[in-house]
Parts: sequence; structure tokens; C-alpha cells
Amino acid sequence: MTALRSWEGFLFAVLILIYAVNAWSSPVFLTPGNQINMFQLSVEKIIVALVMTFVIINGEIDLSVASIMGLAACAFGWLVQAEVPGGWAIMIALMIGLACGAFNALFIVGFGIPSLVVTLATMIAFRGFARVLVEDRGINAFPAWFNHLGQKGLIGPVPLAMVVFAVLAVLAYLILQRTAFGRKVYFIGANRAVAEFSGLDVRAVKAKIFIASGVVSALAGILFAARVGAVRGDVAQGFELDIITMVLLGGVSIFGGAGTMSGTILAILIVLALRNGMALQNITGHIQTGVLGILLILSVMVPIIRETGGRLIARVR
Amino acid sequence: MPPVLEMRDISKSFGGTAALSGFSLSMEPGRIHALVGENGAGKSTLIKTMTGIHQPETGDILVDGQPVSFRGTADAQRAGVAAIYQEPMVFPDLSVAENIFISHQNRRQLINWSALNDEAAAMIARLGVTLDPRRAAAELTLAEQQTVEIARAISLNVRVLIMDEPSASLSDHEVKRLFGIARSLRDQGVAVLYISHRLEEIFALADTVTVMRDGKHISTKPVTEVTQASMIAEMVGRDMAGRFAREPSKDTGEVLLNVSNLAKTGVFRDVSFTVNRGEIVCFSGLVGARRTDVGLALFGVAPADQGSVEIAGQPVTITNPAQAQSLGIAYVSEDRRKLGLALTEGITANITLPMLGKYSGAFGWLDRMHELADAQAFRKQLNIKAANLTVPVGTLSGGNQQKVMLAKWLNTKPRLLIVDEPTRGIDIGAKAEVHQILRALAAEGVAIIIISSDLPEVLSLADRILVMREGRIVGEFTGEDATDESVMHLAVAAEVA
Amino acid sequence: MRIPLGTLRILVLLAVFVGTVLFFASQIDGYLNARLFNRISGSVAVIALIAVGQAFVVLTRNIDLSIGSVVGCSAYFTGGILIAYPDLPPILVPLLAMGIGAVFGAFNGFLVARFRLPSIIVTLATLALFRSILVQSSDGSSITTNRLPTWLTEFATLNAFTAGELQFRWIVVISLIVVLTAHVFLTRFRAGRQFFAIGSNPDAAAFAGINAGRTIFLAFVISGALAGLAGFMFLSRFGNITVVAGLGLELKSVGAVVVGGVNIFGGSGNVLGVLIGAALIDLIDTSLVRWELVSAFWREAVLGLLILLAVAADTVLMRRLLRRKPTGGSQ
Repeated sequence: MTALRSWEGFLFAVLILIYAVNAWSSPVFLTPGNQINMFQLSVEKIIVALVMTFVIINGEIDLSVASIMGLAACAFGWLVQAEVPGGWAIMIALMIGLACGAFNALFIVGFGIPSLVVTLATMIAFRGFARVLVEDRGINAFPAWFNHLGQKGLIGPVPLAMVVFAVLAVLAYLILQRTAFGRKVYFIGANRAVAEFSGLDVRAVKAKIFIASGVVSALAGILFAARVGAVRGDVAQGFELDIITMVLLGGVSIFGGAGTMSGTILAILIVLALRNGMALQNITGHIQTGVLGILLILSVMVPIIRETGGRLIARVR
Repeated sequence: MPPVLEMRDISKSFGGTAALSGFSLSMEPGRIHALVGENGAGKSTLIKTMTGIHQPETGDILVDGQPVSFRGTADAQRAGVAAIYQEPMVFPDLSVAENIFISHQNRRQLINWSALNDEAAAMIARLGVTLDPRRAAAELTLAEQQTVEIARAISLNVRVLIMDEPSASLSDHEVKRLFGIARSLRDQGVAVLYISHRLEEIFALADTVTVMRDGKHISTKPVTEVTQASMIAEMVGRDMAGRFAREPSKDTGEVLLNVSNLAKTGVFRDVSFTVNRGEIVCFSGLVGARRTDVGLALFGVAPADQGSVEIAGQPVTITNPAQAQSLGIAYVSEDRRKLGLALTEGITANITLPMLGKYSGAFGWLDRMHELADAQAFRKQLNIKAANLTVPVGTLSGGNQQKVMLAKWLNTKPRLLIVDEPTRGIDIGAKAEVHQILRALAAEGVAIIIISSDLPEVLSLADRILVMREGRIVGEFTGEDATDESVMHLAVAAEVA
Repeated sequence: MRIPLGTLRILVLLAVFVGTVLFFASQIDGYLNARLFNRISGSVAVIALIAVGQAFVVLTRNIDLSIGSVVGCSAYFTGGILIAYPDLPPILVPLLAMGIGAVFGAFNGFLVARFRLPSIIVTLATLALFRSILVQSSDGSSITTNRLPTWLTEFATLNAFTAGELQFRWIVVISLIVVLTAHVFLTRFRAGRQFFAIGSNPDAAAFAGINAGRTIFLAFVISGALAGLAGFMFLSRFGNITVVAGLGLELKSVGAVVVGGVNIFGGSGNVLGVLIGAALIDLIDTSLVRWELVSAFWREAVLGLLILLAVAADTVLMRRLLRRKPTGGSQ
């Protein structure tokens, strides 16, 4: 019961359990190759989950992340095909992500339209721009160094993806939990009126978060292109669900103001290990997602289960 | 006429504090019964007990002489008891007609809109008002929404209608119309309980008036037998032993804040005053006198549209809270939940929120030891009782939350501290502590504005008292000269009786 | 004369719709003909159904993201049952599909209404969960046209009546009947008005003795049942049902609802507007493919921007009209 008091403690126990079960049921699970593979296959989602944590704690939502990933990846492919040097193509793709984030922020912060609606619309629109760029072709003539970045080890066997995730995770943790900006993110999500009354720059904070969400999503899209070695119009389609699930499972409240970066990181590890374990048992991706769905419902029901349990115990006494 | 509703010896307490003790009230059909009392006299608790939101601990509620128990508002409605409040509870997206008839459970499923609209129009016409039943409630003024609520009540065959401060946010013209409605209800045999702070309204409207104080029934008399003076005496008549002792003024005579002719259209006007360093100026007046609006204008939350403000001789235009803070103004709000504290966040984080810049170094890195040290200092100085400084503020008692809020704003080292209802809803011990803190601040040279509806508090703290009524300053007293009754007279009356 | 706000919205939508038709007519040769109507009406029939279901849910301040998965599941299971029992009376089949959809909707509704869980989380989860139920039970195998009774696959193009070259297919007629029934229910029945009341002011609704839990549950059941009916039409139109059937329909339904003028925070809206919204979205979708000046790949981009534009215009206009305080950020 004490472990249950802290959501992170509970998640940690679940993570250990999943690792134990996976290790017991598959000899492959704990091998370094598999562990690295596990991260590499999902790196795009998990780095976006880090920034999504900021968005949701701030009391907003960003459904357009996967489309920005797709748009940035396709823009990169298009630029490479137009013989723009790879470095420039990456820069421009990141700038497109920034522009997408700023566009969202304009409607959400500027016009005061709910982020759920704005990003639902831009989710469709940004995806549309990606399709306009590549139409129904696939682009795969990337420079060799670029594909290496996504597929080969960077530091020994550790690929760029893992390095990027590790760096971003530490950065996200420090910004959210240890800086003034992070503090503002919490208070704005917990009680916007109090934050405004206390002189906080609420609109600026929100705008920065959506812009960051755009840039990180674009980075994720580029990493995806490097890993797969090809882009198509449907790159990363549907990823937003996985990403939001990870964050909510991590204990972040959909109403804002509550949750921690360590919770999200633990939830990311749980989702990765669970999916990997199921994949090793030849369970398909759709079923894996279904299991995550059940997990998500259970995670929001925990407070209710706990309360009902508490009442029952009280009644017995 | 036998009473339609009777409250007999009703008692109700919250957390050991008695809100109603042995209160009795009898409502007769076809009469307008006024209820007066200071803020905190127990009026809201009484209304909630009459409408089934609260259940009395002891005592009986009788309808037509038969004892009843209301387990919820639905029970009360069925017995014909309904209430309308200062803030009407309507469905903004639905039409006037629908708002009136939505709670009628016994009507046919199929709605005949033209019949419904006609019925609604007739219902409204009975109130002597014209209002298009097809308009959406969101398009209506507050007064019109109130009318809709009253129409809803009479459509449910209301026999006892409680009107809780219905005139507080209305214009003169709208108040007149409201009076017309109340009188026509009376003529139709409804028992009306009219609650208002504006005593002149009571003389214009009521047949009977009941004064309550500290949850007790003080008197019930025909309105012809009372005067403003007698009512006020009964409302404030507390024993002097309960008064806090006054202390000598710390006023330095050096003007910090100089406000002249501040105005905000439709809210307040001609507001001029000064506050010196070390001086405590109290704004007294009733709920709805617009004192808080003046405070919020000075803090830049809802800026004024006219007039000038000088701080330490410098003319300033304050447009937002961040700017107000940088000018050395702090504002402790009366609304802890909405504007004061983020209840789910920790004590330390709440205290340091307005001053995050002070604690952050390169890249906004927070010096958490520094934050903690400051919070610890406040915990000691203000005697904040909490298990530790990271627990969510929401877990603390009201008095301790109030101290956290004070700490939050004292931490900004203000030159001018505005405190709105500093001790509302906190226990007597914490109250004395808060008063002590405010006096100590004045002694340090902080200019203090206190907005308070608690007269004993005002009388014991204030160096100067400014009385507001209906958006204007109507009088000024020095702390020594003021008495309960002199302040109350100004606050409630059009002219000193 | 004062025009009620709701009516004004519908008129503006209709004007936009007509304007769009005229615009494409001026751009595309031979655009305005019966074929256009015959083609679009079939797909609008399906989208309008799920959009109406979504509208019931959105009116109560909730959202149903699982709707696409429910369409897929109902189509698949109905197809599966038909293959196993090919002699099932045709009239029972759409009812069966609705029943299947309603069960999924009831699951959502139970979680949202009984435990007061946020609908966005619940339906995000069931979006995945229902899809995986589909995958699990199909075991990867698809329903194919040749295994279905022929009456079913012919039903999609079966005309109820024709007017000149305009063909009114049965699915279009059924869909219109559903929309009109929903419209009458929501505007003329007390039970229908409760959906609005709950979304407009939940506190006042409780005060007025409206059972919010029951109404919200009902909204999800209706949404599920209509998604089931859409699944039946889907099955009939395409015959081949794979595990990705209905994917992405949740977005189109929310899009149609929002463009159709239903307030995403509940309390106001009109299913006739939703029908026009669905038709407008589908019209633009279909017409862009034929517009030579612009690549067909602009479809989604235009759709997204259209939704954004509709909401932005509505928000700004409503604020002007009502001078209502902007609603808080919480969902």
C-alpha cells in the first residue's frame, strides 16, 4: 500500500515485474541487442512523449505531433531529393516544426481556441502538407551518413536515437522539475487564474511549450527518416495515441497541474518493455496497442479503485 | 394567515462553529419578509437549510404545519420552496422558455414549442415584464436571467420564494423592476423572503423584517415599527468585550499611494484617497459596494478607465499584475481558491511563485535551498502549521492557507499591501495572529489597504476608515472616531439617519 | 426580424456549401451533374451517421474517439455473422450491426458515466482496445465480398427512388431518416433537450433534477449504435473488411461536428448543421481530386484548415455576438 501512495513507486514496481516476466519468458529479452533495438524502434515516440508531458501538465493537449513528425520527415525527404545538402535539409525541417508549433500557438494562445480543437484540425492539415510534398511516392535516396545515424551505433553499439533520448530525458527532467519555467508550467496547469494573478507570463509559457512541441516532433520525424531510410506521406500516422497514452500512464493528469517527468519516463520504459515482450511472443502491434488501452483505463481508475477499497476496508473495521 | 413555512429552533454548525443556533422564522403567504444581518450572521446557511442543501442538526421545518425533512433541493422544490441568487443559475444555450420549463418532469415528452413559448410569455407577463421567450439565456442581462429564474420558480407553483441579495448587481432601473416582480408575487399569495444589505430597499418593499446576528434570531417586527437606526443597532449589537484592542498608529505621514478620481464605467467612480507609509486604511462597506473592484484595479487585474494613480510621487498606469508587483504592490485576494493559491501544489512553491526570478540563476535554474530557507522563515514568522513545506496547500486549514497566502505576498517585499477580507472563514486564534502580522508590517513602514466586511476587525486595525457604497466613497473616519453604528449607517443608508 | 443564432449558423453553412459547389463548378468541366450527387451522397450517408452520433456525445461535453474502431468492429462482426448464417433475414442485419455498435458504446458510456472518467482518455483507450478486439477475433483474415450474400453487396447501390438521373440510394434515405429523427428528437422531445442542458450548465442540470449519468450513458450508446449502422453500410459499400476498416473516421466525425457548428464544449448545436458539415467535408474531399489546378494531395491540408477556419470564425463571431466571457482552458 505504501508503494501505491506514490505513483512513481507503483510504476517502478510494475516495470520490475514486466522485466522479470519478459526475462523469464524469453531468453532474448535482456540481451543488449534486444534492449537497444527496443529503444531504437520507438525513439520517435518517446522523445515526443517528453515534451507532451509539458503540454498536458500545462492543461493543454497537442494532437498534431505525429503530423508534424510526418511533415518534417517528408520535408526532409523532399529537400534531399531537390539536392539540398543534408545539414541544411535538417535545419529547414526543424524550422518547419517550429513554424507548425507557432501556428498552433497562434490559434490557441492568440485567439483563445481550445487546443483540443486547434490541434485536431492541424493534425489533419499538417499531415495534408506532408502528402502535398511527397504525394504518393516514397523517398529513400538519403545520404549514407544520414542512414548510418539512424541505423548504426554511435557510441559503440549505442545508436544516436538512444543518445538523443537520454539527453532529452535528462534535459526535460531538469527543465520541468528544477527550473522556474517548469514551476510555471505546473502552476498554469493547476490554476491559470492564480498564475495570472501572481504575475506569470501565462501566454508566453503556453506559446513556448507548443513551439517546443513542434520542434521536438520535427526532430523525431527526422530521426524516423534516418532509422527507416525512407519517408512516405503516412510517416508516424497514429503515433499521437501512443504518445499521449505514455504520458497519461505516467500519472500526468489530463486536467493539468499534476504529474512528473520521472513518471513519464517510467511509463515510457513500461510501454517499451511491454510491447517488446509481447512482440517477442509474436503478439501483433494492434493487440499490443489494445493492451495499452486497457492499461490506460486502469491507470485513470486507480484512484477510484483505491477509494472503493478504502471504503470497503473501513466498513469491515 | 397560518404560516406556509416555519423554521423552528434550527441549529447547524460546521466544524464546531455554530452557523445557526436555535433560529426560528415563520413565512406567511402574501407577505414580503425581509431578513437582515451582517456578513457572516448565518444568512446563507439559513437559505441552504430552507432549500434542502443542508439538513438541520436540531429543530423542525414545517410546511403547512406539518413537519417535513428536505433531503435535497428537489424535496424543497416539491414543497414549493425555491431560491434565486445574486448569480442566476441558467442554461446559457437554452431559450428563456426552455430555461423555465426544463425541470418540469411531469410534462409530455413531445414539446409543442409555440405553446411552450406562449406559456412562458404568460408566466413572464405575470411578473409584469416583457421578455422574448425564444431568446437564448446567454444573451440576457443579469437582471433578465434573474427574471427567468423567478419565472421558473413560479412555474413550479412556488409558495415560498427566497431572494438572496437579488439587487446586488442590478442597476437602479432593474431594481425597480425587481421590486415590481416581488410585489406581484406577494399579491399572488407567495411568501417572499427578501435578503438585502440595502436597508432602504427593505423599507420600500418589506412587510416584516427579521434581524439575525451570529446565527441567532434577534427580532421580528413589522417594518413600520423599525427605523434604520434600530435595525443597525440590532445587527451590530455585540458586547464590547469581543472587540480587539486598538494599538497606536504607525503612520509616518509620508504619502505612498495617491489615487484621484479613479473610475471604471458601471463599476465605481470618483474614488480618491491616499495611503501613507505605515498607515492602515480600511475599506468598509457591504458586499457589492465595489471595494474589491477598486483593489483589483490598483493591482492591474481589471484596470480602471479613468483617473490617476501616483506611487511615491510617480504617476503610474497599472495594466497587469506583473507590473503592479514591480511597482511594489501586493494583493492578498479574498478568493483563496480562485485567485490566491494553487491548492494542489506545495507550500514552498506557492510562496515563491510571484518571485521565481529571485530564486533562479542561469537557464532559470531554481535554487531550491534558497526557496526552502525563505519558506522556513515565513513558517516561523507567521506560525504556519504544516507537517512539512512540500505538502499541498489544500491540505492545510483555512487559517494556515491564509498565512501561506500572506507569506506569498510578503515575500514580494511590497511597499503597498492590499488585503481583501484578511480573516474571513478562519478561527479566532488565527485571526488575532493575522492582525498582529498586519500591524507589524505597518510598523515596518508598509502602506496597507484592508478591505473588510468584519466591522470589529476594521475598528481595531484601521488608522483611517473609508466607507464605500454603490461604487463610491461616501465617508471617512479616523480609527478612533468610528463606531460600529456610524460606519454601518454610512454603508447601508442613502443619508445618515 | 431577428433570426435565431442556430438558424443563422445553418444558413451560413448552407451558403458556404452552395458557394463551394459553385466554385468547383466554375473550375471543373462537367462538374454539376447527377453523377456528382450519386457519388457523394453515398459516402456522406456513412459519415453523416457517425457525425450525428458524435454530436450526441459532444453536446454533453464529452467526446468519442473510439467511433472509427466501432465502425470497423460492427462491420467485421456483422459480416462474420452473415457468413456463418447467410440466411439471416435482411431486415435484421442492420439492427444487428446497431446492436453490436451499441454494446461498444455502452462500454464507453459505462466508464464515463459511472466512474466519471474523462471521456477523452476512456475513448482514446477504447479506440485502441476495440481495434485490437477486431484484430484478435479476425486472426488477420478479412471479410471478402465473395463470401457475403449478394443482396448485401448490392444494397449499397440499390435505389430507393430516382429523380431524373439523380439516384436516391437506400443508404442515403436511411441516413437522412436517421438525421431527421435525431433532429426531431433533439429539438422537440424533452429527453432530447436534456443532452443540451447537461452540456450547457452541468450544475444547473443537477439542480433541475436531470440525471446526467443516464443521459451521458445514452449519448455513448447512441453514438455506438449509429457507428454500428454506419458499419453495416460500410460493409455493404466495400464488401472487403480488413482490420483497418473505419480507421480515422473519428477525426472526420469530430471535424463534421465542429464544422457543423456544434460547440466542442457542449450545450449547443444542430444535427442538420452536422449533416451539412459532413457533406461539405466530403464535397471538398471529392472535388479536390478532380480539380486540375491543384493536386489531389491537397485534400487533407484543405480539410484541416477548413476545420480551423470554421472554429476560429465561430469563436470570434460568438464572442462578438454574446460578449460572453471566454471559457476557461480546462477540458
